[in-house]
Amino acid sequence: MKKKILSLLVASSMLLAGLVGCGSSGGSGGGANSAGTGTEQAAEELTGIDAIIAEAETMTLEELAQKAIEESNGKTFYGVGNSSRGKSALPLFIEYLQTIDPNYNMEFEWQQPKNNKIFEQLTSDSLKSEGTFAMTLIQDGNQIQSKMVDTGILKTYVPKEWAEANGTTPDEYEGFLPLQTINKVFMYNNTGSAEYTNCWDFVYEGSHPLFMGVDSEIVGKNFLMMLTKDEYAGWLKEAYDALDADKKAYFEPTIKAMQSDANDLGLGANGAYALAWIKLWINNYNEQTDDGPICNTLVDKSAKDQSGLLVYSKLRSVEESSSVSVSNINVAAYQDGYTGIGGYGYSHYLFLTKNSPLPWTSCAFIAFMTTTEQGFDAWGKDMGGYSSNPEVAKAIEETYHHSEGGGDEFPAKNDRGYDWWTTDGKLVLEDPTYCSEVSFSVGSWIDVQDHYSTGEE
Amino acid sequence: MKSAIFKNKVKTWFSQPQNIILLLFGIVLTFSTVAPIVAIVQDTLKIHPGTIDQHLTGRVEGYTIVNYIDLFTSRLAKTNLWNPLLNTVILSVLTCFISILFGGLFAFLVTRTDMKFKRYLSSIFIFPYIMPQWTLAVVWQHMFYSNKVTGTSDGLLAAIFHIYLPSWWCQGVFPSAMVLGLHYAPFAYILIGGIFKNMDANLEEAATILDTPKWKIMFKVTLPMIKPAILSTILLVFGSAMGSYPVPHYLNLTTLSTKYISMNSTYTGEASILAIIMMVFGVLILGMNQMSLKSRKNYTTVTGKSGQLTKLTIGKAGKYVVGIVFMIITFFTSIWPIILFALETFLPNPGDYSFLYSGNLAHLTTKWWVTNQNITESGMYGQSGILYNKTIWHAFFGTLLLAVICALIAGTIGTLIGYAVAKKRRSKWANYVNNVAFLPYLMPSIAVGAAFFILFSNEHINLFNTYTLLIIAGVVKYIPFASRSSLNSMLQISNELEEAAIIQNASWIKRMVKIIIPIQKSSIISGYLLPFMTCLRELSLFLLLCTQGFILSTTLDYFDEMGLYAFSSAINLILIVTILIFNTLVNKLTGASLDSGIGGK
Repeated sequence: MKKKILSLLVASSMLLAGLVGCGSSGGSGGGANSAGTGTEQAAEELTGIDAIIAEAETMTLEELAQKAIEESNGKTFYGVGNSSRGKSALPLFIEYLQTIDPNYNMEFEWQQPKNNKIFEQLTSDSLKSEGTFAMTLIQDGNQIQSKMVDTGILKTYVPKEWAEANGTTPDEYEGFLPLQTINKVFMYNNTGSAEYTNCWDFVYEGSHPLFMGVDSEIVGKNFLMMLTKDEYAGWLKEAYDALDADKKAYFEPTIKAMQSDANDLGLGANGAYALAWIKLWINNYNEQTDDGPICNTLVDKSAKDQSGLLVYSKLRSVEESSSVSVSNINVAAYQDGYTGIGGYGYSHYLFLTKNSPLPWTSCAFIAFMTTTEQGFDAWGKDMGGYSSNPEVAKAIEETYHHSEGGGDEFPAKNDRGYDWWTTDGKLVLEDPTYCSEVSFSVGSWIDVQDHYSTGEE
Repeated sequence: MKSAIFKNKVKTWFSQPQNIILLLFGIVLTFSTVAPIVAIVQDTLKIHPGTIDQHLTGRVEGYTIVNYIDLFTSRLAKTNLWNPLLNTVILSVLTCFISILFGGLFAFLVTRTDMKFKRYLSSIFIFPYIMPQWTLAVVWQHMFYSNKVTGTSDGLLAAIFHIYLPSWWCQGVFPSAMVLGLHYAPFAYILIGGIFKNMDANLEEAATILDTPKWKIMFKVTLPMIKPAILSTILLVFGSAMGSYPVPHYLNLTTLSTKYISMNSTYTGEASILAIIMMVFGVLILGMNQMSLKSRKNYTTVTGKSGQLTKLTIGKAGKYVVGIVFMIITFFTSIWPIILFALETFLPNPGDYSFLYSGNLAHLTTKWWVTNQNITESGMYGQSGILYNKTIWHAFFGTLLLAVICALIAGTIGTLIGYAVAKKRRSKWANYVNNVAFLPYLMPSIAVGAAFFILFSNEHINLFNTYTLLIIAGVVKYIPFASRSSLNSMLQISNELEEAAIIQNASWIKRMVKIIIPIQKSSIISGYLLPFMTCLRELSLFLLLCTQGFILSTTLDYFDEMGLYAFSSAINLILIVTILIFNTLVNKLTGASLDSGIGGK
């Protein structure tokens, strides 16, 4: 029955669009990025989900909402994502649809698989003619590219209003659709005497920053791979040049030793600086299970001089006590005279599944999250997470004032915002295509580096 | 004529219930055991898009042996295979040693001596097994970590007494083996204690009459009698330790299980080979156990003419001293973690014991319990307090349902298999059924979970995140608890008891209900309670089969990983209280329970 309704919807939408289907709906290779081509020629070749996406990309949120109401009233919507907040966003979406049709209702279930399971789950679901999951909110651009998009399992839909807010159009926009960028930044406990004035200080002798294992959270490995990109390797070189002579002398042998590896891996002129930093980081970071425990440690006054690289928003969850305080922590990049990378940013991307049972509703939900303040509210409450829509980001800042969230008492909580982080803050941003390209060159090189164990020196 | 003889033979064969049980479960379990193995083997040969095999073969689909070549010969072989393998073997052996020594000694003291406080000690001793294994690892972190040694915030010993324990004590193989050893010691206690309790004293009495020294009686008479229980404990503990993911994960030890998870994203096929290696170990241990079973002659300890059990006197003062020593030990292994769990739910921040240093109770909070709205401030991460947290309570009832169903099915099947195998102990088919029923236990839980995920997630059937899938996996995995427990006890029952009933024309059901089950009630109930308890806090098996929030263990693990120890501690408390309620309920209704079946009462 569901199939019949879906077929009818698909057929009618195709008729409305004046399309004649003749291709395959599954598709592979080009994946989501190619779905947004709006030329008449391309549109004629699209069928199924691709055709729906092509049409949806020409529609406003209100028009999509109408489609969603027709499609999903009384049904159950299954979403899957790395962020649990999808569960909070769905009721707001339903409320929004009810402002258009008060009789509208939809059940929903939001799943958040652990570890790497989301990729297996989506792959498994893609085998069915009609999937369970309508859409996904997913991180790790590297695996998304190689496992989901190259295989045609996930499809990118770019909302018209989101594209306009970013000064482009769905046709012109290339890449995945990010809901938000999250930053992980260098922080350190300031109750001791240690000072971190350069990103190389985090890999200097005796430093063992707390960090989630690169195998348990792949976005961390993506960050390390991104450092080898010319732009970011250049930042590391600049930071190295700003070091004093003693520290330069300490790092120089490692940098020299990395030169041949950098050549073998085909890296740019500053590739050896990137590899040296990565090698020292892996040799020295103290692996933790999650950013939560890292934050709990760093804000405790007993963690003198300890440092870490963790999700910025964790600071929001600290409760002040006699031994725990946000004032015990410094955000490295906020300190005067700090040089070099301030952390890294990765995105949560939005996709439709290729066999989405509720494609119009998914498109409407995606548009709702990326083009309205209400839709982003589930994430907007937190500092350190930035909507990919500049208009929404602005509205969120006006509502929550993250830039002055800590006041004078807790300067670490005064979020300087996406623009600052990606310029002055020198945030290393994940590029799925680059990560995917170097995944088995730089990535394999990273795998063979020795990891630090406590007690080693 | 020949056909009539054949028909009669068939009829006679089928008239014996043990034959039907063996035939039926032999077929069903062959499928349920072989199918996951086939799935994993297939996975080692399959090309997975976006992983190393695609990179090395240049293909996106098909089959290859490149995963084997790369795992065993690449420059990562030491990191990905040999070091984790060595760590895993050391961990498993040490865990067996610690659990048997601790659990076995305790079982002996409870059942064969006049040690005091048995009832209390017997109940409290099983607590570490009730708790999810990694919670003791988290307690270990809270106790012994220090900024000086582990680079984290100070644990209780460092903060209060300025005691900084060395790195090998805090992380790696030693704490992992200690935590797992303590966790599985109740296993040894239950299995070994069951034998001690039912042991016929005639042999020991005979040795005493012959003026044999006590140590000789212990090593020549008593210990050989409990050999099957020790072997069963090794079988159960070795496999579990080998397949344990959370404990080495939390205590920073790289084992095959932790490697399996960490390699799964990029080296998917090679990770499956690690699973196969773990299985091979399991099969080897099973083979060794088989050889030992073949060599042994008779372990009947319960006969129609069994005498009274004599208890060793450990002295007027000794019985109190030993009891108090164990009270102190069990305080730290069983009570202290619970106190910490309870305390954790009132701390302002996870692990923030500042009220202890400052003496200011105002630093405690009830926010983790009573917050009734979805907020991100004050460390709540958008979670409602425990009392109002729908996710936790939904997971709780889901877990309860799952554990009860798994225990009933696995317990019944396992008991029947144990009975049938004991009756036909010389039959090859019985041996096969016994082994095939046990094999899933020896496979690493994570690998079994992954295999069931692959089996039931395809274009025809998709059971991911359903109780059906969890029940199937749970039943297959937990049948060994019941079958081992049942087999151990059934081997003790002399055939003459049932033969006497057969002569009286008693039906099979009547024989079971009136003779077999009452005699070995405690072991049989253990066969139900063990799957129930294990299922309640199972993580490794279900980790890949459902999402967090679906059952308590995945929810607990999620909170633990996030560092939200107040929630995970509260879930631990909920689990412990639930198991205690069920244990008491079963005890009141049937007169048997996990610990009272062995000693204590």
